Amino acid sequence: MTSHRLIAKNTLLLFFFLITSAFVGTTLFAQDGKKLFQDNCAQCHNPIKVVTGPALKGATDRIPDAKLLHSWVRNNAAVLATGNKYFNDLRAQYGGTAMNLFPTLTDGEIDAIFKYANSYQPPTTGPETPGASAAESDNSLLYGILTIILAVIMLTLLQINSNLKRLSDEKEGIPSVDAVPFYRNKVYITGLVLVLFVVGGYVLVQGAVGLGRSQGYQPQQPIFYSHKVHAGINQISCLYCHGNAWESRHAAIPSLNVCMNCHAAINEYSGKEKLYREDGTDVDGTAEIQKIYAYTGYDPKTQRYSTPSQPPVEWVKIHNLPDYVYFNHSQHVRAGKVQCQTCHGPIQQMNEVKQFAPLSMGWCINCHRTTKVDFPDSTNAGNKFYSVYTRFHNELKSGEMDSVTVEKIGGTECQKCHY
Amino acid sequence: MKKLSIIFSLLVIIALVFSCSEVKRDPGRVYMPDMAYSRAYETYSVTDEQRKALLDQGIHYSNIPVEGTIKRGELMPFPFPKDAQGDSTNYVASKQFKSQIPTPDSIQMIEAERLFLVNCAICHGPKLDGNGPLYRQGEGPFPAAPANFIGGAQYKSMPEGQMFYSVAYGKNKMGSYASQLNSRQRWMVIAYIKSKQAAAASQAPATTDSTAKK
Repeated sequence: MTSHRLIAKNTLLLFFFLITSAFVGTTLFAQDGKKLFQDNCAQCHNPIKVVTGPALKGATDRIPDAKLLHSWVRNNAAVLATGNKYFNDLRAQYGGTAMNLFPTLTDGEIDAIFKYANSYQPPTTGPETPGASAAESDNSLLYGILTIILAVIMLTLLQINSNLKRLSDEKEGIPSVDAVPFYRNKVYITGLVLVLFVVGGYVLVQGAVGLGRSQGYQPQQPIFYSHKVHAGINQISCLYCHGNAWESRHAAIPSLNVCMNCHAAINEYSGKEKLYREDGTDVDGTAEIQKIYAYTGYDPKTQRYSTPSQPPVEWVKIHNLPDYVYFNHSQHVRAGKVQCQTCHGPIQQMNEVKQFAPLSMGWCINCHRTTKVDFPDSTNAGNKFYSVYTRFHNELKSGEMDSVTVEKIGGTECQKCHY
Repeated sequence: MKKLSIIFSLLVIIALVFSCSEVKRDPGRVYMPDMAYSRAYETYSVTDEQRKALLDQGIHYSNIPVEGTIKRGELMPFPFPKDAQGDSTNYVASKQFKSQIPTPDSIQMIEAERLFLVNCAICHGPKLDGNGPLYRQGEGPFPAAPANFIGGAQYKSMPEGQMFYSVAYGKNKMGSYASQLNSRQRWMVIAYIKSKQAAAASQAPATTDSTAKK
């Protein structure tokens, strides 16, 4: 009995082993082509896109002679020297850039690479998730209609109620009193005046305080540049483009050559998420990328620059401090180690940037009062920038104070920002 | 009649409330525009007259420095100009050029690492393996594979001068980083890459060799 079981178990195991090994074998072969492609070719070739060299998908159809293709990949200089017209033309078409030599690749490996390139399918993209903003606007319309219907029902019911009351009063013989119309009722008038006074005063004060503050300001920019796509999904550091925030007073808008570092190669939007403006209209990401080409005079077909037909992009400035306020980015970002998001909000989630903070003086001062400075502690970790404050260091050491706020080092002095 | 007017005004109010967009496309009013919006020239904010006056003089705000001038504190210029398309004379010649800065100490190396992580890691990967968030083994939006500094044989043996050439002028699908990194910072980043390569080679020579051969 036991031996039977053992045999059955063993055959089963063997069966599974054979099947899995067969699978592993085939996937290994397919993976091999991909790995070879990634290691050797991917720097200059893409299966379906023209990069430094042509797209490799379908290369075996364009060059049916497998032997020629193999010798081209291994030593393209030798093939060019034979005067092969197709390859000489191809080289001229790609600006005369020489292809690297790959003498160590075997025929089988080259075939695996082209097999991978031919079977390559771009990752599925496109509008998979409908935007939340569209759904929200639909909902608000629904709620609006519901409110109207409910209001109408309420008014009708009130009407019916008063009519019924009058009818029942008449039946019981109670004479209906001539009510004072509400616009002559002194209680109503006094209440209305009070409400007007309070609401009007509130609106007036808020309006006066809000003068010159643009919290929530979210202008439409000449190019739909989504911080969500760049800083959020693709994890590009803020300082990649706004490196000046580390060096100088202004965070600065990058010049277009910084965009072209990536967008010379990335010429279409292939993100999974569909792009929307704040008002719910669709955005064609690829068309927005093409706008950079118009501004820089870049031709993605020939990959050459010419004199642009347009003047530089006029981005709309959102965060504006009055002339009488001095603000320095590097002081906050580099010395103070303040995160960008502290003042600019969840910028990595914003498709269109909006002013997150009020940028009012009260807002600045509040932060200066509560923010603790990264003083060097007993282990000497912390920002050496603040080592000049010897008295605070001594008081920290003796335990007289437990932390130093920005206010303590002069962060609320008038002349710090107004001079 | 009165009820009708009440219902009508209610409808109008509701319509008004729902037609108000929450998107604030306007900066709002200011008390003293002369103070809020600078009368002086300020970065990126010019009035129409100022813009016209500047453009008439042929001034754009992102001009490059005058040719032949060196910024104070800047290193001597890189002696190799950019190759013409399809030419690689200077790219090859730059191999002989040595770093213009002494090897960074441990504190400078922290800054070098920061520069690498901000400017380079997005493609070349925080681990220098050529697999940054923009590439992700071909899954990311960038169509070309970035250089693998740890695994790629040609990058392990690449001289500093040639790396500098690539950072300054761009190579293949990589753009020029001359506007983002000054020459001192470029040499620091290269020193960081070289130090990481040396560390990887001493740690696991067997594994890196096998990947390099493929």
